[in-house]
Amino acid sequence: MMLTLARRESFWGFAFIAPWILGALVFTLLPMGASFVISLTNFDPRYPDAVQSVGFANYQRMFSDPLVLQSLAVTVKFAALMLPLTLGVSLGLAMLVNNPKLLGRNVFRTLFYMPTQIPIVATTLIWQGVLNLHTGWVNYVLGAFGIAGPDWLNSTVWVYPGLSLISVWGTGTMMLIALAGLQSIPTELYEAARIDGAGKWAQFRNVTLPMVSPVFFYNLIIALIGTFQYFTQAYVLTNGRGDPDNATLFFNLNLYREGWRYYDMGYAATLAWLLFVIVLALTVILFRTRSRWVFEGAAR
Amino acid sequence: MQQNSSRRRIALGLAALLIAGACTQAAAPAPSSTPRPTGALVTAQPSSAGGLTSDGKILVRWFVGLGTGGNPEQLGAESAAVAKCNAADGPCTKAGIKLALEVYQNDAAYDTLATQIATRNAPDIIGPIGVRALNGFGDQLLDLSKYVQAKTLDTTGIEKNLVDTYIVNGKQIGIPYAVYPSYMYYNKALFKEAGLKEPPHKVGDKYTMPNGSQVDWNWDTVAQIAKILTVDSKGNDATKAGFDPKNITQFGFDFQWTDPRGWATVIGGSGSAVAADGKTAQWPGNWKKAIQWYYDRLWKDHTAPTQDYITALAGGNTFQSGKVAMDFVHTWYTCCVYPGDNTSPVKDWDIAVAPISLDGKVTAKLHADTMGILSSTVHADAAVLAMNFIMTQPDIVVTYGAMPAKVADRKAFFTALDKKFQKLNPTKIDWQVASSMLSYTESINHEANMPNFLKSDAAIKTLQSDMLTNATLNIDTRLGDLVKTLQGTFGGS
Repeated sequence: MMLTLARRESFWGFAFIAPWILGALVFTLLPMGASFVISLTNFDPRYPDAVQSVGFANYQRMFSDPLVLQSLAVTVKFAALMLPLTLGVSLGLAMLVNNPKLLGRNVFRTLFYMPTQIPIVATTLIWQGVLNLHTGWVNYVLGAFGIAGPDWLNSTVWVYPGLSLISVWGTGTMMLIALAGLQSIPTELYEAARIDGAGKWAQFRNVTLPMVSPVFFYNLIIALIGTFQYFTQAYVLTNGRGDPDNATLFFNLNLYREGWRYYDMGYAATLAWLLFVIVLALTVILFRTRSRWVFEGAAR
Repeated sequence: MQQNSSRRRIALGLAALLIAGACTQAAAPAPSSTPRPTGALVTAQPSSAGGLTSDGKILVRWFVGLGTGGNPEQLGAESAAVAKCNAADGPCTKAGIKLALEVYQNDAAYDTLATQIATRNAPDIIGPIGVRALNGFGDQLLDLSKYVQAKTLDTTGIEKNLVDTYIVNGKQIGIPYAVYPSYMYYNKALFKEAGLKEPPHKVGDKYTMPNGSQVDWNWDTVAQIAKILTVDSKGNDATKAGFDPKNITQFGFDFQWTDPRGWATVIGGSGSAVAADGKTAQWPGNWKKAIQWYYDRLWKDHTAPTQDYITALAGGNTFQSGKVAMDFVHTWYTCCVYPGDNTSPVKDWDIAVAPISLDGKVTAKLHADTMGILSSTVHADAAVLAMNFIMTQPDIVVTYGAMPAKVADRKAFFTALDKKFQKLNPTKIDWQVASSMLSYTESINHEANMPNFLKSDAAIKTLQSDMLTNATLNIDTRLGDLVKTLQGTFGGS
């Protein structure tokens, strides 16, 4: 029996993605199911014989746990500062290294990208020194201008700008993606704009921004998920304590603490499900708003 | 239409799966530059069913990593001891035992052990392990009382108060192996530079102040001389009117690498965060005064480094930086006052006795490492035999930098330390100070168990970070909050 072209295409399509689907089922869906089951128990790995079903008690507890709200607030506060900053800086750097007038563009591209190759733990330890109140370079530079630098990492206020600086330093990947977006903009659009009398700002606003908006959207989604994943820097800086005064108790760090410091795996699994629901909801909301601000040619 | 709807569902499902994948990655810490997924330095051979090796011997697994034990020179000593026990004429072989060593990186050891217990693949012997770490697994440990009474585990020559340290809830969960008394390390060069007399080396001796007066060696005296020893970038000490606390280059005093229960015990005297009923949270009066005392040194006198300075001083190893005059630490600090490559060591130092606490007694908090046997072991007698062998190997305890619990073994330990420091410090360290402090240990260990230990301990550590970073704390209010928090953690999850 001859298969139709559509069916043949479907068959081969599924054949090629079958390994991924299988992997997703075994290594993602199955653990997800297991984590849901664990979230309904009091599982503590130190006492495997004492595991009991607790129904939805962990979910009830989650809604009355002040640290959950606090860790969410910390994450949102940081996201509100870090997301616009990293997205803006990565786009700005991409425009800089895309500028034909910049001498040694490839050198700058490499330099801006290089920090992403440094292990994040090493990066964090380096920045711990750079941001030190007394001996850090940032405060030395500020001091040269007569500005008394803040205690970046031990102040509940300044710790967010401090962590954002670390994030900005590592925007190389986002910069590369933005650069790819910029390079895909047809030069004819700029020529047409110039003929119409558009200046640099008008070209940026009416040509560059709409044309890179799909790439910007992609970077936003990835950065948003990354923010809710935020862990290593906070863990390294505070040895997992969330100092100062829980100002760096990010949601993921709180989850880790419950599971791997206090061995309260049932509750940690519950928090993981909350994290999943939040990230899913934010992603859906962003996708819903996409048609309003992301330029996708005729499909807009 | 229906087809579109089902496609949309599939697409949404796949999108959710992708996001779940992203979240799953988030749960794991990012790898460091050297990938070490399991953290294992040495792993034991797998056992067959019933804890027997393939040739029918009893497999006894020794799990190292919960305390010290993972350094290269330690691995050598541990492996040699295991080989000696397993030799043809070794005590393990004679008893039909095969001793196997498992060593893990300290940061991975706790999770590894918890996972092994969860998967019913737990080791037999764990250790060396400190009191705090022991509390994380305390009720999993075998009661060793009958082995101590039968002298299968040898406690001869160990002070009774040290043996009793490991009686938890009526169970002897370990026996002393290595002890680390605490005392005052002091930088002789900084004392000399400030024109100050060195602190006393014997309990009861007075301290001679700059004006020649003889005063008790207590925490008020420490506070006074710490002011003279704290210096800003313009050379003003903390007694001067022009002293600039924002630009301090040298501090009078630090409490390196300990927490509020440690501070409170040494400054205030013995106490406990748990009332006698075992379930009520408290912060005793002498501990309140002690915390206020330390907070005043941090933010009022500026004679002790706050967190920002601590990070700047040799990455937290403050005494080693050479910019801290006095530092109250344990014997294990001999590990770290010794310089590694490219460090600028403090060369001219010695040790002094603990000052008199605010309750009028001398209290030198004690750290102690032990070995324990998990109650899940199926070969308890064999595990005890192997553990006794390990604990009586002198090379291991020396390589751990630990003062042996057995009095008779201590001389060799201090001789080894003298040899280690000989090149750097021509004057011998007065080690009798360390030994003498064992007579002044706290009545309740400052790392003693608390209900819901891990969470309660974390709550106390939050007080520590608050004190080191926040200049505007009201200590009474903050301690009141801590007691409420502790009562909450004592009561449940």
